[in-house]
Amino acid sequence: MEYSLYDFRGASLNIQIAIVFIVIAVTFTIIAYLSILRGRYKAYRREKKLASLHPVIDNLLMEHILLNDELASDVPADQVVLPIDVFRLPVFEHRWARQALIDRLLDYRNNVRGAMGEQLRNLYIQLELDKDSIRKMKSRKWDKKVQALVELSSMNMSIADVTILPLTNSSNRELRAAARHAYIKLSKNEPFKFFDVVTEPLLMWDQVELFKIISTTEHIAIPNFAQWITYSTNKSIVSFCLKLVVHYNQISALPAVLKLLDTKDHYLRADAINCLGKLKMESAEEKLLQMYDSQPLNCRLEILKAIGRINSGKHVDFLRQEFLHATDFDVRKNAAKSIIRNQWAAKGIVEELVETATAENKLILKHSMNPLIKF
Amino acid sequence: MSNRILLVEDDEVMPKIMERILHKEEYKIEHVTNGKEAFQRLEDTNYDYDLIITDIMMPYASGFEILSKVKTRKDGKPIPVIIVSNAGNEEMILEGFKLGADDFLKKPVIPGELLIRVKRLLMQYGAR
Repeated sequence: MEYSLYDFRGASLNIQIAIVFIVIAVTFTIIAYLSILRGRYKAYRREKKLASLHPVIDNLLMEHILLNDELASDVPADQVVLPIDVFRLPVFEHRWARQALIDRLLDYRNNVRGAMGEQLRNLYIQLELDKDSIRKMKSRKWDKKVQALVELSSMNMSIADVTILPLTNSSNRELRAAARHAYIKLSKNEPFKFFDVVTEPLLMWDQVELFKIISTTEHIAIPNFAQWITYSTNKSIVSFCLKLVVHYNQISALPAVLKLLDTKDHYLRADAINCLGKLKMESAEEKLLQMYDSQPLNCRLEILKAIGRINSGKHVDFLRQEFLHATDFDVRKNAAKSIIRNQWAAKGIVEELVETATAENKLILKHSMNPLIKF
Repeated sequence: MSNRILLVEDDEVMPKIMERILHKEEYKIEHVTNGKEAFQRLEDTNYDYDLIITDIMMPYASGFEILSKVKTRKDGKPIPVIIVSNAGNEEMILEGFKLGADDFLKKPVIPGELLIRVKRLLMQYGAR
């Protein structure tokens, strides 16, 4: 070692720097490998423990909750006394086991509803697992907060607006999304209040998740989404509201949607056209046709789809023209699909096209006729 | 002879719930976890099932593909198909019925409702 140190001191500066870097790199590599190994070992231990605990939890839930005929009575779910003593096993004194129980309860609640679903919630409360979730809610770690929000909202537990609303605008994306989901699910009076305060864009995945929550939450107060379509400066909120207008078939929002056809943002315009098509607004068809030639490709595709969805049969010739003469493949594909959707008014045209089309166009038509293929 | 039901479901918990619920009525449940396995099982048994319960979104082949294959089969006894899925939007439901689904249940399900629908279909199709 002394010899090495002597050598090091005697070496040139370049060599000394290189040796220092090598030592640092090797040390960090070893630390990284050790931490990966430690992580994997912990995960392996956790999986092993969970693999032995899950069957125990499953049996308890099946025998004492889901298949317990005594619970299938007319008594309101929150007044039923559950056999919670059987769940008081020593293993559930450990935090990891209680977490595993909470996770399993959530899995079950995602699969069963009705009285049994309520009994699962009842069990969560009677075993005081909600206290675990509330403790996590107070944690300074964002991932714990997210976990708590998911648990509390899935179990339909109330959270104060003052706790949850600030989180809907959190700088952390995951936390923000979880808080929004929880707010919509749990806020009984104004579940969409956070639309007014949202400054960050709603990402596509956020929208999918929000949509799922909105459409599956019972007794939710549905506002007129036209207010955000008209006034929101957040484009993702406008786009999301258009999807909600379709979902709730909110005809009262139509003037706002039609007005959006004049927006300069072609992505929003495409969303508005999509909305009109899905609402089957026959009265908007003429306007869509008039604006077709001046639109960018995404809007033109949406117009073609809308004509197919509206299915009035009035514009089959226009679709035929586009199918035969457009140079863009997507235009031809969507025109073909819309012709097929309007088939009741275009039977002769479809037959003619199948007989006279080029090999590629025939392939497109065949593709469009397959009911299993969606696009 | 107990009725044979093929359950096609990739979720971990749902098959356990269904097996317990349906086992009460002494139905024989066979579970596969994806569309490919379902096709294989159907071929191997020569479609010898009284009912198929399938999810929609699964690896390799979707529930719609299974449904389509079962319903477009020319010979053999007709097999009722129930779709049980998280995807409950209008288009999906209509598509399912267009392809010949006998019933559509949206997750989360009510266990009693599932059992009644299964019983009703088995009676309707005059299973063993």
